[in-house]
Order: sequence, then structure tokens, then C-alpha cells
Amino acid sequence: MRDAYLIGAGQTPFGSMPEESYRSLFDHAVSDAFDSVDHGIDTDAIDEAVVGSLGVGGRQLGLSGPAATEHAGLHGIPSVRVENACAASGYAVRQAVQAVKSGMADVALAGGVEVMTDMSSDVTKYWLGVSGETEWERLTGTTFSGVYAQMASAYLREYGASEEHLSMVAVKNHRNGAKNPKAHLGFECSLEDAVDAPVVADPLNLYHCCPTSDGAAVALVASEDVVEQYTDDPVRIAGVGAASDRVGLFQRDSYTAVSASEAAADTAYDRAGIGPDDLDFAEVHDCFTIAELLAYEDLGFCDRGEAPQLLEQGTTEADGAMPVNLSGGLKSKGHPIGATGAGQIVEAFKQLTGSAGDRQLAAPKYGLTHNVGGSGGSAVVHVLEREAAR
Amino acid sequence: MTASGLAAIGAYAPRLRIDAAEFEAAWGRFDAAGIDEKAVPDADEDAVTMGVEAARRALAAADASGTDVAHLALATTTPPMAEEDLTARLCSILNVPDDAKTQTMTGSTHSGAEALDATLDGGPFGDDVGLVVISDCPRGDPDSGVEHAAGAGSVALVVDEDGPGTIVDRASHTAAYPGTRFRTGGDDRTTGLGVTQYDREAFTTTLGSAADRLDVPTETVDAAAVQSPDGKLPYRATGPLGADADTIAAADTVSTLGDTGAASAFLGAATAFADDAERVLIAAYGSGASATLFVATGPVPVNTALDSGVSLSYAEYLRRRGEITRDEPEGGGAYVSVPSWQRTIPQRHRLVAGRCAACGALNFPPTGACSDCHERAGEFETVELPGTGTVAAVTTIEQGGAPPEFVAQQSSSGEFDSAIVALDGPAGEQTVSVPAQVLQATDEVTIGTPVVLTTRRIYTQEGVIRYGFKAQVASQRR
Repeated sequence: MRDAYLIGAGQTPFGSMPEESYRSLFDHAVSDAFDSVDHGIDTDAIDEAVVGSLGVGGRQLGLSGPAATEHAGLHGIPSVRVENACAASGYAVRQAVQAVKSGMADVALAGGVEVMTDMSSDVTKYWLGVSGETEWERLTGTTFSGVYAQMASAYLREYGASEEHLSMVAVKNHRNGAKNPKAHLGFECSLEDAVDAPVVADPLNLYHCCPTSDGAAVALVASEDVVEQYTDDPVRIAGVGAASDRVGLFQRDSYTAVSASEAAADTAYDRAGIGPDDLDFAEVHDCFTIAELLAYEDLGFCDRGEAPQLLEQGTTEADGAMPVNLSGGLKSKGHPIGATGAGQIVEAFKQLTGSAGDRQLAAPKYGLTHNVGGSGGSAVVHVLEREAAR
Repeated sequence: MTASGLAAIGAYAPRLRIDAAEFEAAWGRFDAAGIDEKAVPDADEDAVTMGVEAARRALAAADASGTDVAHLALATTTPPMAEEDLTARLCSILNVPDDAKTQTMTGSTHSGAEALDATLDGGPFGDDVGLVVISDCPRGDPDSGVEHAAGAGSVALVVDEDGPGTIVDRASHTAAYPGTRFRTGGDDRTTGLGVTQYDREAFTTTLGSAADRLDVPTETVDAAAVQSPDGKLPYRATGPLGADADTIAAADTVSTLGDTGAASAFLGAATAFADDAERVLIAAYGSGASATLFVATGPVPVNTALDSGVSLSYAEYLRRRGEITRDEPEGGGAYVSVPSWQRTIPQRHRLVAGRCAACGALNFPPTGACSDCHERAGEFETVELPGTGTVAAVTTIEQGGAPPEFVAQQSSSGEFDSAIVALDGPAGEQTVSVPAQVLQATDEVTIGTPVVLTTRRIYTQEGVIRYGFKAQVASQRR
């Protein structure tokens, strides 16, 4: 199969934007993505679109793909919404890659959008639980904070990690997010703040949880046959992996590992022909800070139980050997559910094309994005490679 | 023919208690004489869940199981639903065969006696048993004597020809004395006219007339378990019943549990037999008025859980009563239809799991591909789990952290623990994990804490109460 390339990616700011609709947000993300294309692009070039969304709040739950893409002027093309909870637009990007690699499209648009801040907190909580296992897990009175807290309880017990390690993730990601003008919570926090915050679901406190955000993000995927029309500085989608697992935590093999992440990463590394040691940075799914610790281990950055040491050693800091969540991650940048996976691709694109501003790494070659649905019922991993300039 | 053997009694009262002094402090007075403290149902308890607690204990004390029950009678003045047969779910939870005869008696504190009467008349049951479940949690307006007295408790009696206990005599009497205690249609608050002399006359005349019909002399009893809407009225009946105050006090529960309505006299009998009484008078009374007396001889094995656990402040009490709490908020989202809930009832009521035909792993619920080997092995071999296990992962859902379906519960009861429990397999050799709420405990719930499962209300959706399992810290099980 032919290669697929990332030729552009863009996003709205993530945050609370009462002046925007899901359509207008998506439209802004399309504009931002178009603007990021080296030689320019317009709607006529897009052969197909995939839009990730959970559909929080209901609104346009059916046909929200066409509703968003038609509004953005992507008229007449195949357009579909994909739903995989928080991994929706990670999977949208994967489908765009499939469309391009298979030859069905030369340029495919993959994006995501979510509006989460225009509801009462009660209604928001209804929606935050809909991707948990609804017949058994949710009926113990949990939303996602509760399920991730159960994972955290098991992790802390199994490996003797502390709640301070959970807080260290928050401090790091806020430090990074403070340099991202599009971050929802773009401020720094002290370790003291992140340790002393009010408890949400023991052992998780408020600083261990990402916010609920509005936002949209869009990635543009082109085939190797047309990539040169759009850029001289191509980013190759070197490997894609995805996997599923039982939706309810209670039916999984482990509470201290996300096997879907592990399987997705194995596939992505294999397709890319690299390993975790070759990566220059990663954007990982830190909806709760415990999820970032699990990701280090699931993605092979360290062995099981060693994530706390990576934090203590500063390995995943912006100036460390393996910077994680330079964008601020879900924790600081924000988590508009359907837009998150594509938003991670936006950060990777910026880093690999040297357009990440104050948080730019020096000439990275490989970046990884890791997007999880629910508490691990689905996961998708992309490995992106900056090729030599043509 | 009728049955007369009494095999065992089980009794239960919620662990939550409030002291009379809390009412004194709140109201400047306490309008329920002779009550020191009383039992308060938690937000997820009702007449059905309390009845299950008593029934399981009674069956255990009788060395019987739900499958032995041929006749089940439920009595309560506080059925969780005004209309709908609750015995079907009670039978399902207790694993009572589907051909058992069932009855529900309600509408009067006398209904417990009606249930025992009917069950005795329904026997003998041969190798099987009859089960009488009397469970009640009355309530009144907050400033009323009825509410100050209102307690909660349940009692279950196993009727079996083989005894060892025997109902040696029984008699009833009705007399038209309306208005001493009643509830109008659609109301959940019981009231009474509070005409002191009239109330006493109704009580003593009706009970006394029933006593006159007994063949067994009441002077011979060791304890007289008399209907106790408060701690004073039963002692007005010493003369008519032929039982002195000490004999009535020997079966007292009202002073520590409050007014337990239909269960009142039978809870008294349970405590008396637990104290090794040999002959007990049970004197049930209901406004209207009707009275039924039983004379029971022991020994009767008793299994009770009546001791107190947690003391509430008056404000906490008002939250548990739902007086100052919020209902489920409007919204949309996760929704479990009644038909889809109904399909999972064997799991929710009786922990029916399945063994994978391919790898032998236990699955819960036993549907779909095996969660261990992921084979589509078809039908699972059905196994019932004993309901014991250990906590494998746990969190505390803080106030405000619950999904909207659980807002009302949290508003009443506060934060709760939600866990994954590794349940023991039928032979203890394997485990299978289930998610479960953990009942509030005085000790911290952590990974490795042993638990036992119990039946509680999970929530109410579409107006239909959903009963299922919750975990209780094993060391706190009474």
C-alpha cells in the first residue's frame, strides 16, 4: 500500500466558548488546518471526511459528520461520524489513513469536535458516564473519575507509587500547557497545589483530572502520489495501531495496564519499524494523571511499575530525554472528547514541522500520539516521522 | 389441617440509629414516650431489602434455604410500591421456587399477624416450609409523634411442622375503632387523631377481647411481645392481656428500635426467644381495629442483627428521610430499560455466573464471548456464587461526583465507595470480578478488604425500583 502523509493540522483553542457552535468550531479548525498546509489547499481537494465525536449533550447525534463538513464547505463528499468515546478522532485519523492508503482518496480530512461546557454539571455528568459500561459498572455510581480512581488505587498498591506521583504529572503538563496559547488551562501549578487539591474520587483529586472543554481539531492526510503538491517538508504517517478491550474495567485482565494501548503501540511501532527508544516526543492520553503513568508503561517508555521513576528523573519533562505532552496534554490543553485525538496529531505536526512556538523541540524526527477511549475499551496510536526535506 | 411448628426466627434492623436527645435538641421535645433511640433505614433500604435480611437469617437459623419455601407471605405497612406484587422479586432474591404460593398483607400494623395466620393455615408443608416476612419502616410528618417514634425493622418466621417451636394457641378480635392510626390514599405519612383516652380504649379493648378467646392462660408466658407504637402504650394492656409490666418489658424492642409497625410484636418475640424464653405471647394490633394473639413455645432458634451501628445527628436523619434532599436531576444519557434490566435479574438477585465451556473461567454476567479466553463457547454452565470476596480496586465517590441517577442516594447518604470485587467461585477455587458499591463502613475499605454481598436498592428509573447487590465489609456484617 502507498504511504500516507500528514500535510496539515489545525485546531481551535480548547476551552469554554459559549459563542461557538459545534459547526462553527469545526469550521474554524478546518481553516486552521488549511492555513497550516505549506503550499495551501482548499475544499475542492478533499475527497473524503471523517469526524470524531461522542455527541455530548445530544445535539446533532445523528448525521453529525455531514452536518459539520457541509457547514465547512466540504460539499458533497463522503463524510461520516466515528464514535469511540475519547478516542473518536484518533480513530477518525486512522480511517483517513486507510482511505488514502487504499487508494479510495488522495486527500482525506480527519477531525473531531465536541461541545461540553453549555450544560449544567448534572447533565455533563450524565454524558461523562455514557462510555463506561452502563449496565454494571456505571450502576455502582461511577463516572470516569471513579473508574480511573479504581485503576489508580490498584496501581498505587501494586507498585508502591504515591499520590504525589499523580500530582507530578499535573505539574509537568501545566508547565507545558502554559506555553500553549490554545490550552484550556494554560497556567502553571505548583506541586503543593496539585497535592492539596480537593479530592474528587480517592486517590484522584481535582488536579489529577482533566477539564471538560469545547473545541475542534482537524488533520489533513494525503497520499504519497500527491503530497508534493502540498508541502516540501512532509510528515509521514509511519505507523498506525489500534486495539479494543472489554469496556468495563471489571472484565479486563489487569487494572494496572491498558492492554488496548499496549497492543495498539506494538502494531504502530511494528509498522513504523521503530521502537519507543527512537521517539523524540509523545502526546499521550492523560485524561486523569494516572492514565499518563499507565501510558509510559503501556507504550514501552519503561518497564511495569517504573513510571514513577521516569517522573522523578524528569525524563518526560520538556527538556528530558522523552518529552511527554508538550502541548499540555488533556490535563492542561483540555479535553473536548471528540476533538482530542486529532488535537494530539496537531501538536505532533507542529513539533515535526518546527511550528510549535515556545515549546518547540530541536529538530525532532519521530513523534507518537496515543488516544484512549473510555477507561481502555479502545486505543489508537500513531507514529509520525519527519522525512528529509524534498 | 393447619401448621403449628415454628422452626426459626430471623430479625434485622438497619444499623443507622438516632438518639431521642437529637429530637429534643431539634424540637425542644420528643413526642415518643419510652423510646431511647430508634433505627433508621439507609437511603437504599426499604421493606423489601430489610425483609430479605431477616428472611436470610431465619432460613439460616432453620438450616433451610429459599428452595425449601412452599408458601411466602409478606407483611408491611410500607410497601415500596403502592401497587405491584413485591413477593415475586422477594422470591427471586431468596431463590424461592416459582410455584410457591405468595401473599402480601398490608394496610395495617396488624398485617404481620395476618401473614402468620395465613401461613399457618396454608400448611402443613411436608418437607417444605412456610416463610413469613414482616418488614416495616413507618413515617409521619416531621413534627408528629408518629415520626418521632417511627423506627425500622424486619422479622421472618419459618413455619415447619418439625419445630422445634410451636404455636400452641391463637385468637383474633375486631372492633370498630377507626382513627387511631391511619394514612389516606396517596400519602406516605401516617397520622392519628391523637385522642389519648380513645386510643387506649381501642387498644386495650381489642387486645383484651382477643385474649379472652385464648385457651392457654397468658399468665404462663415468660414474655409478652405487644404491639408498640411507642414505649408506653403496650403497658396499658397489662390487665387485659394478663401479663405484667416485667413480662412485657422482657420482649421490648421499641425502646431501641422505635415503632416497627407490622413487625413490632414479632421483633419482640425474636428478642424474647433469643433470651431463651420458653413461652411467648405475641400480641399484634392494628388501628381500625383488629388484634391477633399467638402463644408460641420454644425453644426457637433465632438469628438477629438488631444491634446499633452508626449514630445520626438530626440533620443527617432528615437527609436519610429525604426531607431536605434533592431528587434525580433532569438530563439524558445512560439508561437501562426495564426489559434489559429484567434479563439480568438472575445476576442481580442471585449472583448467577457462568463457567466457560472452553476454558472453565467464571464469567459475570455469563453472556457473550468469555472474558478470559475470549472464545465464543456458547452456553455457559450456570453456577451460583456464594457472595463472598475481596476488594480488588476501590474509590470513594465524593459528594457531587456521582452520575445523576445516584444524586438522590448521595443527597441522602453522602459519599460512597465504589469497588471492583473479586468474588469467590462456588468452590472457592476461582474468582470472578464484579463492580459493586460498598456499604458505608466504620473501617476504611481498601484493596484486600473481605466483603460479603447483600441486597439493596440500586436506584429507581422510570418509576421502577431496581434491586441488586452491594458489598458489605465482612467484619461489619452483623
